[in-house]
Amino acid sequence: MRYNEKELQALSRQPAELAAELGMRGPKKGSVLKRRLVKLVVNFLFYFRTDEAEPVGALLLERCRVTQEEPSGFSISFLEDPERKYHFACGSEAQCQEWMGALRRASYEFMRRSLIFYRNEIQKMTGKDPLEQFGISEEARFQLGGLKA
Amino acid sequence: MKLHQKSVLSFFRGCRAQAPDREGILLKKGARNTSYQRRWFVLRGNLLFYLENQADHTPLGLILLENCQVEPRLGATEPHAFTILTPRVEGTGGRAYKLAAENQEELGAWLWALAGASCRQLVALLPTLEAQYRELCQAAGQEPSSPPEGCGFVATLSTPSSFQELHEHFGKEIRVLQVVRGRPQ
Repeated sequence: MRYNEKELQALSRQPAELAAELGMRGPKKGSVLKRRLVKLVVNFLFYFRTDEAEPVGALLLERCRVTQEEPSGFSISFLEDPERKYHFACGSEAQCQEWMGALRRASYEFMRRSLIFYRNEIQKMTGKDPLEQFGISEEARFQLGGLKA
Repeated sequence: MKLHQKSVLSFFRGCRAQAPDREGILLKKGARNTSYQRRWFVLRGNLLFYLENQADHTPLGLILLENCQVEPRLGATEPHAFTILTPRVEGTGGRAYKLAAENQEELGAWLWALAGASCRQLVALLPTLEAQYRELCQAAGQEPSSPPEGCGFVATLSTPSSFQELHEHFGKEIRVLQVVRGRPQ
């Protein structure tokens, strides 16, 4: 699948939600924990060698599961392949909780679901659609629409 | 840099049972071959996938739509043409994807859908809605509940967007559509 690496690089330079040096281990058997600068930008997770400007890699954080593995460690896996885990080691339990929370909220799908939830609840309570004031109440992506016909 | 394609493909495939934000045929000008190719485009969130055929299991390619500019392209060889301009950040990025819709209505619909397709817009909007919800719950003496699957959204922006900023932001999308739509039928 083609993608423009420069687009990803440009995204990796945008302001991050969270960035920190963490230990990271890939999903392959025998992977070793390495120190990486890990940066969360919208729904992408970039990781860099600590001295470099270009990321080593990027993960799309949609349909993923974030699981606590140790008091100060968590893993990310993808719903379609739950045994394949990317492991992260944090400096403290507090840092681990912070990252897990941020990663769970980072997906576009999570934000969309939340928006639809609040929209619905507010409409139930006030009788008014809160998205109307922004002129986006007709947008397909904010409808409750689910399965294809 | 390695984009872990499995993470992207699992998203693409996992969502196929759900209606995308928009999908359909668009003509895409090749990078080297400058003729327009017919492709099936699927928009989901801030990602625009294109496939050779609608039923393909794997997309041909992916365009990241975070902070893109989408504009109709007047005076192009193809009618109903538009451009997706990806941002340049610190001297990298910045590519113009030249596309064309099949008719004026499709053009308008795609421009509208693409103009709104960034995560940051949702990030800007959510704290306002969550705050509104919590205030209403408090006024009603009701315990606020959380969106399904996971913790309630906690505002992570240091300064919440003002109504004015949000109005400006979404006003941009409406203006794009007005340019394209012209006079109503």
